[in-house]
Amino acid sequence: MTDKVARRLALLEGAEFSPADLEAIVTELEDLEHVVAELEEFAQDTPWISLQVQPAGEKV
Amino acid sequence: MAPIDILELNLTDLSKLIVARELSSTEAVKTALARLDHLDDKLNAFITVLREQAPAEAKQADEEIGRGNYRGPLHGIPVTIKDMFETAGVLTTGGSKILADWVPETDSALVEHLRAAGAIIIGKTNLDEFGHGGTSTLSHFGPVHNPWNLDRIAGGSSGGSAAAVAAGIGPLSYGTETGSSVRRPASYCGITGFKPTFGIISRHGSFRGAWSQDHVGLFARSVKDITLGLDPVAGFDPRDPASVRQDEPAYTTRLEANVRGLKVAVLRRFLDGVNSEVRQSFDRALKVFAGAGCEIVDLDVPELSYAAMTSMLTSSAESAGINRRWFHERHQDYVPHVSRGIAVGMTITASEYLTAQRARHKIREAVRAAYEKVDIIASPTTARVAPLLSDGVKGNGDDTRHASYNQSNLLRFPSMLGLPGCSLPCGINSESLPIGMQLIGAWFADQTVLNAALTYQTLTDWHTRRPALVKA
Repeated sequence: MTDKVARRLALLEGAEFSPADLEAIVTELEDLEHVVAELEEFAQDTPWISLQVQPAGEKV
Repeated sequence: MAPIDILELNLTDLSKLIVARELSSTEAVKTALARLDHLDDKLNAFITVLREQAPAEAKQADEEIGRGNYRGPLHGIPVTIKDMFETAGVLTTGGSKILADWVPETDSALVEHLRAAGAIIIGKTNLDEFGHGGTSTLSHFGPVHNPWNLDRIAGGSSGGSAAAVAAGIGPLSYGTETGSSVRRPASYCGITGFKPTFGIISRHGSFRGAWSQDHVGLFARSVKDITLGLDPVAGFDPRDPASVRQDEPAYTTRLEANVRGLKVAVLRRFLDGVNSEVRQSFDRALKVFAGAGCEIVDLDVPELSYAAMTSMLTSSAESAGINRRWFHERHQDYVPHVSRGIAVGMTITASEYLTAQRARHKIREAVRAAYEKVDIIASPTTARVAPLLSDGVKGNGDDTRHASYNQSNLLRFPSMLGLPGCSLPCGINSESLPIGMQLIGAWFADQTVLNAALTYQTLTDWHTRRPALVKA
């Protein structure tokens, strides 16, 4: 298990899983690391999204 | 009229008979409930059946129609809804043990609209827990079976709704879609499924899977029936933050089988892994559109190779946010696969979620540019027919872990971007399983999609094919 995956597991704040479930979660977290890395590269030249919360179409 | 005739009627014809008082709502509901009781041991498509309430409401509908108070095409029609929608006084579980005994006090917006239209809800359909899945095997109440082959999945997460319509248990059902949960089960079950543009149908009072991708959608045996079911439930609702202001819904009156001059795009790079029989059926369908006057064009949107992973990261993070409290208090009560998925979502950081939103924005801009050149993107709905139940969640063959030209990108991008999409039957394979194709339009081009689907169903009869289980 990598340090990154261990840090993610710590975010589960003590939720207990069976060894088999934990193994499956670790595998998915390793996949997630790849997904995040690919998306960061893909999206790096994209503007940050601006979302406001005023009622649409109304002057506040 | 013999019961089997009623079950074979589409919504359009059933409605005509009821308003003409040649058939009572009471008889239609009774027959649908009898079919449900006859088949649901095999299908497991329902969590709750309204055996007493539905006949009572049907009797009331007959009395109203008899007095001349006809409310419209859904009046007295037996319909079903996914168990994601709150129903006052009726069990609402989300397919979960966590809410196995929960009875809401109020109706969801969808149910409000259906009651106002006089529809008779006869049952609430089975699903992947809280809509988290693509198989309808991840339910606390057991897996849904496909009416075309009981060893196959119905697709998910709205699998119970699709199986019900395919089995003739009511001509119309309502589901939800976060990734592909209307179009995929429609394809696997050989029926028509439609999800409108994001914000067209209110989601108030339905469980959230992932708020920025959740839609309400419909299942029927034809696109004409879809529009009859869409008109009464579409419209602005201030209780849903995503709801959009829109004209009075008139999808039925504007429905026309005319696609002459429409540009239909095919993204061929994403079709390399598609099963050969599915591909052949899709290619034949394209010829039908060409014959109807469409221009078939090749299109390349390489950004879509990131769609499935972007959609999955987004929905994982959002569903973790939605389920956070229950996860901490009772994660062992979720279906194990769903619990593991929420656990993964719990570890996604805010900056990672925002990265996914930047990726989503980039994909949206690429798709926006594409729709300046074409009217519809067409593809097989799924790369293969309904997989075996024994294949589990891997059977769908999706790839959400890597940027790729896997067809699952074409399945997931419409919900991630809020585009209108319709899946309709376009073939039967050598194992007698249905094949579906999807038509995806630009934002608010719902009518264009529906008209194209109607054109195809006017020129072909795949949507009239029925599973052997029903014919038997």
